[in-house]
This record gives sequence, C-alpha cells and structure tokens, in this order.
Amino acid sequence: MLFCTGRTEYIPLYFSSAPISSIAFSLTLDPLSYTFRRPFLNRWIDVETVQELTIYIEVEIKDMSNKEDLALMAHLFRRIGFGASREELDEYLDDGYEQTVEGLLNTSPVSPVDDALIRRYHPDHSTTHDTSGAGSYLLYRLVATKSPLIEKMAFFWSNIFATGYAKVTNGKPLSDQFRTYRTYGMGRLDDLLLQLSRDPAMIIWLDNIDNHNNAINENYGRELLELFSMGVGNYTEDDIKECSRAFTGWTIANADYIKELAVRNSIFPYGKLAWDYEYNEDDHDSGIKTFLGETGNFNGEDIIRIICEQPATARFIARHIYHFFVADEPPVPQWPYEDPKDIEAIEMLEKAYFDSDHNIKEMLRVLLLSKFFKSEKCRFAKVKSPVELVTGVLKLTEEFPGPNIKITERNQQISFMGQTLFNPPSVEGWHQGLEWIETGSLTERVNFASEQLGDNTKVGIKKIVRKVTEDEDAYISSEAYVDRCLEQLGALEASPPIRETLIKYADENGLADINLSNDGPEAERKVYSLLSVIGFMPEFQRC
Amino acid sequence: MQIPGSLDTNKKFMAYSHTVGLCVMQGRGFMYPVDTLIADNGRMHTISRAYTSAAHNLRITIYDTDGEYYGVYGGYGSDLGKFIWPSSIAADHDGNVFVSDEQLDRITIYTSDGSPISYWGTKGDQPGELNGPASLAFDKNNDIFVSDHQNNRVQKFTKDGVFILSFGDKGGNESKLNLPWGITVGPDNLVYVADWANHRVNKYSKEGDYIQSFGSYGNMDGQFTNPSSVAVDSDGSIYVADWGNERVQILDSDGQFITKLRGEATISRWAQEFLDANYEEAEPRSRSNMEPDLGRFGGNPHEESAHTEKFFWGPTSVKIDSAGSLYVTESNRHRVQIYKPNSKA
Repeated sequence: MLFCTGRTEYIPLYFSSAPISSIAFSLTLDPLSYTFRRPFLNRWIDVETVQELTIYIEVEIKDMSNKEDLALMAHLFRRIGFGASREELDEYLDDGYEQTVEGLLNTSPVSPVDDALIRRYHPDHSTTHDTSGAGSYLLYRLVATKSPLIEKMAFFWSNIFATGYAKVTNGKPLSDQFRTYRTYGMGRLDDLLLQLSRDPAMIIWLDNIDNHNNAINENYGRELLELFSMGVGNYTEDDIKECSRAFTGWTIANADYIKELAVRNSIFPYGKLAWDYEYNEDDHDSGIKTFLGETGNFNGEDIIRIICEQPATARFIARHIYHFFVADEPPVPQWPYEDPKDIEAIEMLEKAYFDSDHNIKEMLRVLLLSKFFKSEKCRFAKVKSPVELVTGVLKLTEEFPGPNIKITERNQQISFMGQTLFNPPSVEGWHQGLEWIETGSLTERVNFASEQLGDNTKVGIKKIVRKVTEDEDAYISSEAYVDRCLEQLGALEASPPIRETLIKYADENGLADINLSNDGPEAERKVYSLLSVIGFMPEFQRC
Repeated sequence: MQIPGSLDTNKKFMAYSHTVGLCVMQGRGFMYPVDTLIADNGRMHTISRAYTSAAHNLRITIYDTDGEYYGVYGGYGSDLGKFIWPSSIAADHDGNVFVSDEQLDRITIYTSDGSPISYWGTKGDQPGELNGPASLAFDKNNDIFVSDHQNNRVQKFTKDGVFILSFGDKGGNESKLNLPWGITVGPDNLVYVADWANHRVNKYSKEGDYIQSFGSYGNMDGQFTNPSSVAVDSDGSIYVADWGNERVQILDSDGQFITKLRGEATISRWAQEFLDANYEEAEPRSRSNMEPDLGRFGGNPHEESAHTEKFFWGPTSVKIDSAGSLYVTESNRHRVQIYKPNSKA
C-alpha cells in the first residue's frame, strides 16, 4: 500500500488529543512484508504536555517477489536435499529456479568428501564392518554434498529396495549398494533393477543365494514384483514363480562361505570380506517361462524389461516419487485399495516415465517444475526423517568440515530418533510421515535440534548469530531478531502463533532493549537462546 | 612399464615369512591396528585403534612373532594410561613405551610391560604444543620426534616432553609438510617423514634442516599416494607404506625404486586355531576362491584389497627390526605381515 520494496521507509502515525497524557499503541503488519527496524512497538510513551504527536515507525519493506523466490528455493532444497543455508540459497537464487533444477538433475555422483582423509582417521570407514562405520561415512557425505538430489534419490531407492544389516551383517555390501543407487538412481529404471538384481547385499537379503534351478526360492521374485516395481494385484502367483525361475543362478562368489559368514556375523579371521556378484549358468533354469503374458526362454534381464514396460510399474514408481517428494500417500499395502491423492500429478509422472523410456531423471524434471510440487500448500507438509533432520542441522552448525570423532555420536543420534542407517525395520523400509513422531523420538528430535542450534561453540551457529546481530543501528526489534533467525536458518517460515511465541520469548529476554553498540556479546548470548527455542518449533521438524 | 597393482616378482628383495593376527574385539588379536612396536626384548606391541562405537575394543596387545600372547594394556578413556584415538607407539632407550593420542593431544608413557607412568602434551599450535600427534620416533640421544600432523610440522622433545625444536612448517615448498603421518629416525640419525598429503617422503637432519624429498603423486614405481609410514634398515634402504596404493615400496638410500610388495598374507597361528575350532566356517572357506579377478575393480587398489584377503589393506605402519625383518601393520585386515630379508637385488 505504501512504498517501493527493498527500501527503508517511514510510516507516520498521527495522534491528536488534548491533552495527550499517554499513548499506547501497537501495529499489526504482515510480517512477511515488513521488517521492523526500530523497537517502537508495544511500548508505553508518556507525554505530559504534547497535544499532537507524530511517531515515525521505520520499516524495511521486503521485496515480495524475491521473498517468494526465496521461499520456493528453500522448499526445493528441503525436499530434494537436506535444507540449505541462507548463503547457499542466495547462490541458487542467482541462477533462478529452473536453472537450479537443471543443475541438480545433471550432476555426477563424485564423492564430496576426501575419502582418504576420512579413512585415515576412521579406518573402520574403509571396511564398514557394521552400521556404525557405514552410517557415519554416509553422514559425512550427506553434510558435504553439492549434489543433494543424487543422495536423496539414493535414499529414495534404499527405502523402496530396503535391505538391512540385520540379515546382511556386513556394512560394506550395504554401503556399496547405496553407491549403486547414487550411480543408477536417476537413470533408466531398467538399468537400476538390473543392478539391484545383481547386488550382493540384496542377493543375501532376499535369499536369491538359495534360488536354484529346480529348487526355486521365491523371496526375491515376489518382492521384485510386490515391493520393488508393480505392487500387489498386478501379477499372479505363477508370475512370481516364473520370475524366480528366471533369476536362478544369480548369486555371489563363494556363496557357501559368504552365507555362513553372514549368518554368523563373523569377523574372522581378518575382518569381513567384500562381496562379488556371480552368475552361475550351471544353476540357471534355462527353460521356457511365461511371465505377465509373454513366453520365452527368459533370463533375469528379460523379466526386468517386461516389468518396466508395465503401466502398473509406472504408476507404482510415480506414486512413490509423489509420496517421497510431495505429500504423504497411504502406506504401500493400501495402494491397491486407495486411489492416489492427486491423480493428475501421478498421471503426469507416468507420462514422463513412458515418454522418456523409463528415465527417472525425466520424471524428476516434470515433478520439480510442476505446480503441485511448487505449491505453497505442500510446504512444511512432510515430517523430516531423522537423517534429514540431523543432516540439515549439521549443515547449519558446520561441525564437520573434516573428520571429527563426533561423527559417530551424530550417527547414533539418528538411530535414537528411529532410523538406523542401513538397517531398516523390514523389507518395506521405514514408514514415512507422522510415523516418525512418537514420544521418545520426538523428544530426541527436539532436544537435538535445540541443543545444536543453541551451541555457541559451533562455527556455523556463530556465523548465524553474527549475521543476526550485525546492524548499523544500535537497536533491533524483537520481531526483527525472530525474522532474521528464521531467515538465516534457511528461510524457515513460522506459523503466526509460533512467530508470536518467538517474539514474546525475545521480548521477555529483553533482546530489543540491548544496545548492540555497547553490549553486542549480551545480544549474541540471547540470540543463541532464541535459536535454541526455534529448534523446538514444529516447522523445524518438517520439510 | 609396471601395471599398477601387479606384483614385481623379479626382484625378491624381501621374502614373505608369515602373518600374525586375528580380528577380535578383545584380548588376543587386533581391531583396526595402526602401529606396532618391535621392542628390544622381541615382544611386539600393537595398537588397536578400534572405532568410537566399539570403544571397549581399544587396547595394546603384547605378543611375539611366533604368536605367543602376553596380554593387553591401555583402553578407552582420558585417565592415565587410557587413550581415545591412539596412533603411534615407540620405545625409548630404557624400554619405556610411548603412545601418541591424536584426540587427547598427548603422549602417554608406560613401562615395557604396559603399566602407565605419566603423560605429557598440550593442545595448541604454539611451539611445544600438539594438534594431532600422529607418529613417534626416538633418536640416538633418546630425544623424541613427533609428527604433529594438524600443525603440519615435526617437533622434537626430550622424552619428558620438553620442547627442543620444530620443522616442516617453514621453508620452501619442498620442505613444508602437509598432514605428515609416519616418522622414523634412520641409522644415519636423519629424520624421514611420510608427508601424507604431499604424497612424498621428506628427509631432514636431526636439527630439522631439509635435505631431500622422494617420490611424487601417482601409482607407478617410485610414486606414492598418501604414504603413511616409513622405515630405514641398516643399509639405508627405505621402506614406505604406500597407503593409498595399498602396497609397500622399497627404495635405496638415494630414493631410487627397488621393489614393491602387495601383500601375501597366509593364515596366522591365531587364525588357524580359530578355523580349527569352527568347522562351519573353515569348510566352505577351503572350497572358496579367495583371489577374485582384479580386472573387475577398475585398477582401484582400495577395492582390490577389499576383495582380496591376502593383499595389504590399509598398511598404516612399517617397522624394521634389528635383523632386518619388515613388519607391516594393516588396519583393515587386523594383522601384521612379516617379511624377512632375502638376497638383495
């Protein structure tokens, strides 16, 4: 209504009364539009003799178009990655949304960390005997990655093709499997399923090591159809058998020895061995098979080709993508009985799947440029998984510019919140959404976020506090402190009641009364406390 | 031209003898061992660095080359005699044992049988302060050199921790160290440093004057990738744990390449006793091919070693005893491979 955006302006408030003995006033302006730069709100002003008074309220008018761009960019990185700092968001804003999406889609899975340096400090990260080494090493990568979509897609697939340490009992094959998801996770589904079928950890996890010619084990064949590609109701029991026959002989080298070591969780004699895929033609059923209506001398590659041509597969993958990146769908077992929440969105993704010859990257491009992904209603609508929450916090704290013994503790904290990396609870993976929140895990989550954000020893938090308290003026209003903190934490948005609560907290702590010119350290101390309180807000637990 | 990762069998400078070790969480064996002391009494002390979530695995194991086991000492913690990130072990002329801790930034002293005596060291970057003491070596005067790796320097102290001098963080690029790791004092009383992040070995006088560098980054003969340890025998031959290439290279006293070792581990006495008692594992193992086709690993030595049990994997320490035998401690295979001197080419 008033001014140009991005500038500091003055709002005159005119009062006339005879006499004016005292004036109480407060203003309510849209906090998304204005940043108050003077602490004049909610104050009593005693004026004994003045009969007319004009008070100028200094406000900085925010650039709304830029603010929307910022909010959208922040949303993008909360969903396709693990959040982004204000500084990172500014860099991406320079490129614009579409170009940023292209950059995310076209990066390569090079290691973002110095593997040699990490292995020097943590020799267990080489062999990754167990989930501790594998998980901690992964956490280093997640915090440092400049290709967050690749890591996020690896998580996406790892939760669909869930494979767990509980049975594999060897961290390296699981870590190697995750590497496969990085490499193939944004390519053709056919290639990914082929790699999955040759993956040593999967071969142990779903017993294809016991799938022999004339003595099939249906475990892998069943889950390939039910949980990995098509979903219940789109195939028959005979299809499962024929699929399993096609994957006979897909095993690992030294199968008997490796299986025994896995069953016994043996570290003897010289630590755990890495595993290798091996095709045993002598153990392959080379007979004629009929699968999903097609007949031939099928091997596993043919089965995957047929699976990937099915509309049910496109629907299944599209629904998973929507569920993971946009909004919670019902749990997978309910999918045969419940329609997608947004059928138009699902159909757009299905079309991209077939138009691109089953290319996942093209599905993602359609997704990330779509209105349904960008829409405001889906922002902060999903609950962060524990690894998303912890990684996002660690990006802000900058605790791990290099190897640090604390990485193990951080990885353990992810476990305490209900997600032990590389050890999902079952072949269904972790259920998403509100299932992450239960009494114990919620306590762990908010305590972790609050403790880390308020930690004055963390380099990243020090930087944030410095940016919040840097001002040419001596005083900053409570509203400005809150807004600046939210912005520095990655353009975080608080609902009006939560924002009011934070402002009240800042007021009660006297932030607005602190003269930054004289008592900067005191202001900084209180901002650490404010950041710590922000760690408790619901929006911080969401993405 | 040598193929990276291949064995140079033409020059049998050192002959493989046997392996000592077993991956176990406690007691007789190791868990991610990083360094070994060959004590004057013939006993070996190997540090198990373990890992943070298995802190109870931290220990120093005493044994001998025949696999006779004498016990353990140390353990996780910051009290006297404990450690958190132990990295190196050395003995003074009296037989007392010194252990560096990269996390606590201190050097702990034990008697030769592992009873703690005291410790010294203060975190910092000033002269005499430490930031990640990675390796230890005594000179003929019974003074101790410490590779103070995060300060990118080597410091010399009396064995009681009184600062004498430092070097490696000044001078030209040749003399400057970058995250140095292993260190040794040769029979010539010169100091050899595995300049880890510069992929070379640097030689200094005992006063810290730069003399010479060996090697450059790479995987060809005479090149290194993140060397972790260095030892010098009585003839002046230089043994380098070429950690990033998962091998040991042997150079002559002028730094010229002689030969390389990739690892030939066999079943140790402790391992054999385990397999004898565990037929369920021993039997399928006996039917297994433990040497996969290396072609599938794209020339990546880390993956080759991960899949080939006999190869060095994480050779963090090389030591030479008075008889000229070579001891290679492998963190990722939880063992020590021992080579004995042969007719030298």
